[in-house]
Amino acid sequence: MREVKTSELKQCNKRSEDEAGAKKKLFMAGLIVLLLFSAVSAMVLGAVSIGWRSVLIILFDTSPVSLSFAGVEVLEVHEDILLQIRLPRVLLAAAVGSSLAVSGAVFQGLFRNPMADPYVIGISSGAALGAVFAMLSGFSLAVGGFGAVPLFAFGGGIITIMLVYSMARVGRAVPVMTLLLAGIAVSAFLSALVSLLTYFAGEKLHMVVFWMMGGLGGATWHQVRVMVPYALVGYICVSIFSRELNAMLLGEETASNLGVNTERVKKIMLAGSSLLVAAAVSTSGIIGFVGLVVPHFVRLVAGPDHRFLLPASALLGAVLLIATDTLARVIIAPSELPVGIITALIGAPMFVYLLKKRKKLRYFGGGG
Amino acid sequence: MGLNIEVHGLKLAYDAQPVLQDTNFNVDRGDLVALLGANGAGKSTLLRCISRILKPSAGHILLDGRELKLFDSKEAARKMAVVPQETAADFDFTVEDIVMMGRFPYLSRFQKEDQSDRDIVRRSMEMTGVAHLAERSITALSGGEKQRVIMARAVCQQPEALLLDEPTANLDIGYQSMFLELAARLNREQKVTVVAAIHDINLAVHHFNRFVLLAGGRVMAAGRAEEVITPENIRKSYGVPASTYRHPLNGALQVSVARGRVPDENNIQGKAVHVIGGGEESLPVLELLNQQGCKLSVGPVSTQDSGCRFAHFHSLPVVIVPPFTSMNGAHREEHLQLMRGSDLVVVPPIPFGEGNLPIFEEVEAVLEEGKPVYIIDLAGVEKRDYSGKALQLLDNLVQKGAVVLERSGDLTAVVRPDGGAGDERL
Repeated sequence: MREVKTSELKQCNKRSEDEAGAKKKLFMAGLIVLLLFSAVSAMVLGAVSIGWRSVLIILFDTSPVSLSFAGVEVLEVHEDILLQIRLPRVLLAAAVGSSLAVSGAVFQGLFRNPMADPYVIGISSGAALGAVFAMLSGFSLAVGGFGAVPLFAFGGGIITIMLVYSMARVGRAVPVMTLLLAGIAVSAFLSALVSLLTYFAGEKLHMVVFWMMGGLGGATWHQVRVMVPYALVGYICVSIFSRELNAMLLGEETASNLGVNTERVKKIMLAGSSLLVAAAVSTSGIIGFVGLVVPHFVRLVAGPDHRFLLPASALLGAVLLIATDTLARVIIAPSELPVGIITALIGAPMFVYLLKKRKKLRYFGGGG
Repeated sequence: MGLNIEVHGLKLAYDAQPVLQDTNFNVDRGDLVALLGANGAGKSTLLRCISRILKPSAGHILLDGRELKLFDSKEAARKMAVVPQETAADFDFTVEDIVMMGRFPYLSRFQKEDQSDRDIVRRSMEMTGVAHLAERSITALSGGEKQRVIMARAVCQQPEALLLDEPTANLDIGYQSMFLELAARLNREQKVTVVAAIHDINLAVHHFNRFVLLAGGRVMAAGRAEEVITPENIRKSYGVPASTYRHPLNGALQVSVARGRVPDENNIQGKAVHVIGGGEESLPVLELLNQQGCKLSVGPVSTQDSGCRFAHFHSLPVVIVPPFTSMNGAHREEHLQLMRGSDLVVVPPIPFGEGNLPIFEEVEAVLEEGKPVYIIDLAGVEKRDYSGKALQLLDNLVQKGAVVLERSGDLTAVVRPDGGAGDERL
């Protein structure tokens, strides 16, 4: 079957390929520039303002390359603030933002449902239950430098997803619709338990509520070191199956007919994205809308191909969370708002805007 | 190319409701098979077992002699491609993206699509006539276009067998033929084995050369159209009375479902009516009277006449004149007896020629005996009179008391058991 085709057709074929490719490369390059810009801005802005040149000098000081600007002196206190407080916070925001955005993209694809987000099958409720339980019981536990709250949150999230998975299983298959419904039911149940615990939280109410609003306050290098490997493992898991996920968008039967081992792909996708979400939630609480809006935005610009959607969502998710976290820090500086409030405040109108544009731009659940 | 598919003793049940019961089924290399059967007969279920979507509880499926279970997903997808009735297309993929997915079973995990894959994609799109849509979004296509894109993807899989699950159910009649012709072409040119579950028997007859009729999860008949598509088989598998006939243009075997009689609530037997002559023009009258529950007789008609087929199908008394002969005394006597045995006689709007004019002598005779005679559409006689004498003969009947009705629909009132002209006699 493989025979030489006329060169004319090949060229025509290639041209369209190139055009689409060029557009995607441009978009990706734009995202990288935006990421660097937002990262530097996040380090410049804050209760104490540090000049952007100082930021660059300090950053480059950590590498073998040294950089200097005439007439710019770096204060030692700035160096401490930057390296010990702002830099880990920016990195953590990037890791959490991309984890949420990527897992959002995966869940939307897996469930073929535009309303799906990283929390749709109850990982967040499970994590919240774990976290609130840890806060209220007040017992102290530390494993590898972590307190009880993130450990219980992580455990709660992972146990929930396992529970949902086993509930949705029919024989050896897991129909995605059953999974979604089981997830929603479990999520509602766990949320009720969380509310019950919150009701009896007493003086710890403030702590519980604050955790559930989500925030990156007090980010440490230690958190970064633990969060990043989880995020990476989760990301690699899902991204090497992006071609399979594309086929799954056409329905499981179609994917299976194309040679995709759908049950295996579902398992790996669920495991990978659950890891991403659990890691994100346990470090930063429940930050909404990043995982819902970012993948939609990328699809709108570059189409639904997961081989592009996943990396682009990771970058845009990082940008969005760094930016909103910076806003959360500076709006009422020296105090700060929970970043979950900012993402929802910005994310919800953005989402409505996307819905309005939907007809014209024909993206998800099209038909028109 | 071409795949041999063997199915042995397949069993499958949905919620304890058996769908496949010991199904045995064999498709030879390069066959072009239409899978027929009523809703729920197990057509789709059988195809979905072969395409590994459903796992049968017992039995074996062999592809070229090798157990299907031993194939891994990609290997099976290189052997078989599936075109379902409908494919979800909610995501904004381009047509080219969709067709390229057909290369999935040939690519290893980290392998990128290369020029040869793109060439195959291009050729598949050209073959199915969707190359001009390559850059369009799948969400923006019509049903017919979309189904051809899915076909292009199946072609792109370079399968040895193509499984089609009611692929034309949502297409208009133009696209239906075009689509099945495409499948037939793949079978002809590339020797791809094609198995298609299909509802439209008359459509299937034009495009396939082997037929398998399923009923209750078992194969009821298999073979050529003449062996499988018989009124008896259709009645048993679909549960409706049907007749078969030859397509007027190409002679292909066709099936037509007869309308059942409307059950009479009081079970009153309708009037006995004799309908004169045959021809397609008499069919609406016959069907209408049949619906009204009348006891019909027909004639005289020639052997291949529509009226004759109607009479045979409903097992009615009929006077048959062999083709290319004229009525003899025996025919005329038989006709007279039929008319005498009925409550009324109807002359439908048939064409008149020298051949059928002698009928009027007998009609006149029964009219004189007091038999009610109804003539339909006297005003239109001239247009269908090839003898030039019919109008005069009919006028003569009217003078002797025959009733003229404008439309065949007016007969409804006449044959109602509780009223009409016939009552005067009863």
